[in-house]
Amino acid sequence: MKMLSPLLACRLVRQTCVLVWLLILGSPLSAFASPLVVEAALDREVVAPLLEAFQVNHPDIELDFRDRSTLEVNDLVAAGRPALDVVISSAMPWQMARVNEGYARPVDSPQTRNWPTWAKWRDEVFGFTFEPIVMAYRLDLSKHMLPPRTHADLNTLLSTQHDLLRGKVTTYSPLTSGIGYTLFQQDARYSARFWDLVVGMGRVDAQLESNTRDMLEGISEGRYWLGYNLLGSYAMVWAQEHPEVIVQLPQDYSLVIMRMAFVHRDAPNPQAAEAFVNFLLSREGQRVLAGKTPLFSVLPGIIGPYTAQRLRDQAGERLYPIPLNASLLAFVDPQRRNAFLDRWRREFRRDDGK
Amino acid sequence: MIETTGSLKRRLAVWLLVTVTGLGVLLMVEAWRSAHRASQQAFDSQLESAALTIAEAVQWEESEPVMEVPAAALQILATQQQERVFYAMLTTDGEPVSANMPFTIMPAWRAQVANEPLAVTTTFDDTSWRLYGREYDSAGWITHEPVQIWVGHTRKGRKALAGELFERSVGHFVAMVLLAGVLMILTMRVALAPMRRLRHLLRRREADDMRPLDTRVPEEMRELADTLDHLFARQRQSRESLLRFTADASHQLKTPLAGLQSTSELALQSADPAQWHTALVTMHDSAERTSRLASQLLSLARLRHTGESEAVELVDLNSVLRETLLDWAGRQVASQHDLGLAELPPEPLWVRADAWAIREVLGNLIDNALRYTPPGSQITVGVKRQGDEALMFVEDNGPGVTYEACHQLLRPFERGGRQGTDGSGLGLAIVDSIAQHFGARLLLETLEPHGLMVKLYLPLYPPPYQPRHENEQAP
Repeated sequence: MKMLSPLLACRLVRQTCVLVWLLILGSPLSAFASPLVVEAALDREVVAPLLEAFQVNHPDIELDFRDRSTLEVNDLVAAGRPALDVVISSAMPWQMARVNEGYARPVDSPQTRNWPTWAKWRDEVFGFTFEPIVMAYRLDLSKHMLPPRTHADLNTLLSTQHDLLRGKVTTYSPLTSGIGYTLFQQDARYSARFWDLVVGMGRVDAQLESNTRDMLEGISEGRYWLGYNLLGSYAMVWAQEHPEVIVQLPQDYSLVIMRMAFVHRDAPNPQAAEAFVNFLLSREGQRVLAGKTPLFSVLPGIIGPYTAQRLRDQAGERLYPIPLNASLLAFVDPQRRNAFLDRWRREFRRDDGK
Repeated sequence: MIETTGSLKRRLAVWLLVTVTGLGVLLMVEAWRSAHRASQQAFDSQLESAALTIAEAVQWEESEPVMEVPAAALQILATQQQERVFYAMLTTDGEPVSANMPFTIMPAWRAQVANEPLAVTTTFDDTSWRLYGREYDSAGWITHEPVQIWVGHTRKGRKALAGELFERSVGHFVAMVLLAGVLMILTMRVALAPMRRLRHLLRRREADDMRPLDTRVPEEMRELADTLDHLFARQRQSRESLLRFTADASHQLKTPLAGLQSTSELALQSADPAQWHTALVTMHDSAERTSRLASQLLSLARLRHTGESEAVELVDLNSVLRETLLDWAGRQVASQHDLGLAELPPEPLWVRADAWAIREVLGNLIDNALRYTPPGSQITVGVKRQGDEALMFVEDNGPGVTYEACHQLLRPFERGGRQGTDGSGLGLAIVDSIAQHFGARLLLETLEPHGLMVKLYLPLYPPPYQPRHENEQAP
């Protein structure tokens, strides 16, 4: 029940936000010639409380928040048209590649200096959320078998219960989802047995979705019993509304992704953009993140239901954030990507012939 | 006249400053270069290992090279400084097989890399990059074409490291200079201490204290101390001779004055005008002698105390000698003696001296000879050329003096053991002074069987307004 309050706030805000933006758009008080454009691969309703708090703090900045897919965001950064100020995406390798190509502008402020070093790169791009990757299953599953608690459990289930699970398992498609691809890459880096898991997925004819919401909807509707590699931020909120869905943080290791934000090099409103990023990283912004959104605050010392600290207290040392460093660039290397996808397809179809 | 030209301390300080500045500039340039070299090497080796790691991942599939870029290589490239990174695999004809950024690799660089690894600094979208390229042979099942691996990163870390290294060197240098400065000040104090000690010693001295210095000095100041001691010794000597001269002069003046006094007293006690007349005659003679004595003292004092010799004319010794002798031969005092002139050289002998001084010398010598020889003695005056010197002499066949007395004769008031005669005893002293003044040598020689010869050697000069070669032809 405790988890309900941020969610309620979320829904309330969702309705009021449009109104607020309309007011702001028409405001003659606007000090900036053009609105601050934030191109984000981040659901508007999830992040609404944060945007609202930003507007309260900076009433003079006109905010234009555009919610897009990771792929669209990535293409926009390179094109630079239409003009954009702040870029937010959870497709970490692509964000990193764009920053490496010089599309980011460094931000030097007390907030950025204070930001944990493991969650920033070159003072240009900042990971401002801490979203665990989880498994989710339908309550029906537990009637037939012991729900998986670890990757190994899942692998065992896929090989022992493949008849029951056929068509009932869902996960990200590495081909259509940047997040999914990143997660599988990272999984493969940690354990060679990951490929057994892929073989298992293929064996049960796992359904490949391109976002977490579709997977959650499938589980709620009963199409799927088990989902692998879901964004914990969305799944936890979903589970509160849908009691038939159980969220399981893997007990062996749990990946964590971060939404990465940077100010575009050619930002038309660099000052407003910096103000926005600074707000994301400020204690106040993080407090909103921890209290009113399921995105989890990175900053230590923030109190709220959604904080990295609280997650760590629950999951112990099993949280493995995808490192925010140059090694991410390897994931977007076309040859490496092709090789990985080739293997994925190969392993996924291995048992087809049988 | 002592002129102050800067201070030793300031001079040392300026020299130190100039040296340190000059040296410092050189050191700084070198430090700057070596800091950059060091950071360049350190970071280039990172590039090299990244390239090596990437090369390890190159494989041939069918006839195509494939490279799955290792994440570790990228982290090596990025370094701790989180540089932006670049990597590319090119075929030998420059076609990128794999690249993360649209860098243009110059054909010239590719050609060079074919021979040996190459590191270059270049600029790409307003940022300075360091690139490193290397060619690798890779064996495939179908083709055996080499590939070129190019890696690169931005130069923030290099600059930071070089700056840090340079700052450290500058820090060391500044500390060293400050330390050297402090040491220099201390050294100057220590080194100049003997100088200060000597100064204090001299300042504390009484005005008439002419004793040698009693102090310890370092080797470098030995000469100065010696010179000072020498100066003190000379002053002491001259002071002593002055005191003796004054005492002697007073004594000499006192004797005739006492005679005058007693003669006048005797005459005053008598009522006889004839005795008065006798006394007056005696007193007149005595006064005349005293006056002569006083004028001799005066000329001696003048000669001794003329400091620098002024530019004097060239005079012909022959003519001066001839004139002087003619003058003396006509005098009353010479009537009892045989005063003669030796044969004079045919050509004039030019010496640098004042004619009056030569006359004074000759006069004194002739006067002495007349005074200290019995009547009828022969006195011969002459001049000869001896090498590049002129020898002027006055000889007599009087009783002469002993060898030991020769030296004493040159002192004032010395009369060769014949204090009874009425000479003042100043003659030879005056001659000696004049001789010294003109750079001449004075010699006394006793003659056999008896007699005295006074020789004066004067340096000869070429005749005035005459070509030099005539003088050289002279014997």
